[in-house]
Amino acid sequence: MNTQPVIAVQSLKKTYDKVEAVKGIDFQVAEGEVFGLLGPNGAGKTSTIEILEGLRPRTGGNATVLGFDPDRQKQQLKDRIGVCLQATNLPAKMRVQEALELFGSFYTRSISSEQLLKRLQLWEKRAAFYETLSGGQKQRLALALALVNDPQLLFLDEPTTGLDPQIRLEIHGLIEEMKSEKRTVVLTTHYIEEAERLCDRVAIIDEGKIVAMGTPRELQQQSKGQSRIDIICGQPMNAATLPQWPDAVESKLSEDGKSLTVHSSRPARTLFEIMKWLDQQGMQLEDVHLKRPTLEDVFVELTGKRLRD
Amino acid sequence: MKQYLAIIAMDIKLALRLRAVIFFNYLFPLFFFFGFATFLGRSDRIGGMVYVVTMSITFGVLGSGFFGAGIRAIQERELGILRRYKVTPITPLPLLVGSMVTGWIIFIPYIVLMLLMAHFIYQMPMPAHMFQLLVFISLGLIAFRSLGLVIASVANTMQEGTILVQLCYFPMIFLSGATIPEEVFKGVIKILHNFMPATYLVRGMRNMMLHGQGLLEKENLAAAGVMILTILGGGLISMKLFRWEKEEKIRGRAKLWVLVVLLPFIVLGALQWLHNK
Ligand SMILES: Nc1ncnc2c1ncn2[C@@H]1O[C@H](COP(=O)(O)OP(=O)(O)OP(=O)(O)O)[C@@H](O)[C@H]1O
Ligand SMILES: [Mg+2]
Repeated sequence: MNTQPVIAVQSLKKTYDKVEAVKGIDFQVAEGEVFGLLGPNGAGKTSTIEILEGLRPRTGGNATVLGFDPDRQKQQLKDRIGVCLQATNLPAKMRVQEALELFGSFYTRSISSEQLLKRLQLWEKRAAFYETLSGGQKQRLALALALVNDPQLLFLDEPTTGLDPQIRLEIHGLIEEMKSEKRTVVLTTHYIEEAERLCDRVAIIDEGKIVAMGTPRELQQQSKGQSRIDIICGQPMNAATLPQWPDAVESKLSEDGKSLTVHSSRPARTLFEIMKWLDQQGMQLEDVHLKRPTLEDVFVELTGKRLRD
Repeated sequence: MKQYLAIIAMDIKLALRLRAVIFFNYLFPLFFFFGFATFLGRSDRIGGMVYVVTMSITFGVLGSGFFGAGIRAIQERELGILRRYKVTPITPLPLLVGSMVTGWIIFIPYIVLMLLMAHFIYQMPMPAHMFQLLVFISLGLIAFRSLGLVIASVANTMQEGTILVQLCYFPMIFLSGATIPEEVFKGVIKILHNFMPATYLVRGMRNMMLHGQGLLEKENLAAAGVMILTILGGGLISMKLFRWEKEEKIRGRAKLWVLVVLLPFIVLGALQWLHNK
């Protein structure tokens, strides 16, 4: 087992003329990990990821990707990674399969276009011109191109932005497949659900700085916010008999007394106590909801902003 | 090598799929060819048809260089197509070489076709040194594509590129002797005429087609040499200034590199000017 991190970044900085886009960030990505950079528009996600891909020079700090310095060993690095850019295009009159074959010829090793077309459900579209593809098909082609050299490390810059929810799920499936093939994936996104669903670890980035980093679960637990428990019963509960639940911060009974909302910092324990109480009271439980704090709550707490405008 | 072949094959396919390319490379010069051939081709002056053929070829060469290579390169950068190439391990070299070779492959059949038509339809005598003539025209074509690529590499926007292209294209059309015969140029116009790179292409072709000269004749050899220098200089400069993304801008001073590519022609023009004096 290789314990060297696939990516190691120390005090990475990027400045454009006057704009300080990345202000000294540190992180590591381990082999086989799906690592997410989550942040709002202009946070510095693309700047960071494109420095690691060898596309833009860094202004300061250190970076190693697959053991290469992305500034000085661009060619070797590019030969080994797969990249899906945030903004790119192909010639209007290039056919899907031609694109895969052309780009495949640029690498020391490449996998057959047929195999890729079938895998990314582009087989029927193999002879279509690029200009005739839908947004989702273009994105699948972009992913196919990223896989053309069979890379162990993939960079996906906002792979689902601007796509329909249906197609977004499809792309999520493909990314999960890459993960199951033990490829390391770095992706950027401003969709919370995407980060929660796909990433082993997430770095929340805002104004060029990492404000929090960890597994989605760790980040949620860092939240000061409490989980919310909603209880609905068949008959009204008596407000006077409601006890003070352990760890509950606030409880509230609806006017008809049939639904109870409790905020708790330790929801599992609180919920257990509520259940016990309901049982003792001989109440008939109709429904229970438990809502944990989301990454979005964490994000809002840390940055004072929402992710999407 | 694999990547060079793949890029060239793709470029040719893409070019043949674009109506604009077909139009500017084939139909437009052919239109001139037949238009003028009907007027001048049957005149008793044997030079009439040579004049028409060299004019059509010059239109083709300039169009291929400035629009086919130059404007197209800017377009690919502005549309974010080059960005996709930047992600891969290739350098700009195969893309630049690909552009030159593709231009040549698309253009040469057209030249041969035009020469054959001029001969069989309009009784123009076949050039004495056909192969040498084709070599000379090929050098011209690649030299002008090289100039086009240099323009693409110094223009920051499509607008800038279009202005630069027009600043080169129109004077060369009118002052190179391709359209207006060089005999009528006087004074300043004549001096300018001698500084136009296209002048040497036109003159060399006419020497070879009208006077049975070969490539090794002093004047033609000088022109060929200057074109080779342009190809090498233009290639090096486009390589050095190559930009994959429209966000990367070039500094104003770097634009002076255009003058460096034109240097061989400037020297040639100056020599001609001194000689005339
Ligand atoms: N080529 C450039 N020249 C100048 N400024 C730039 C350039 N690229 C990015 N910036 C600036 O750097 C900052 C970070 O941009 P970046 O594209 O890295 O953010 P991002 O997190 O990827 O945003 P988005 O979600 O919109 O893609 C922004 O303020 C942006 O305007
Ligand atoms: Mg971005």
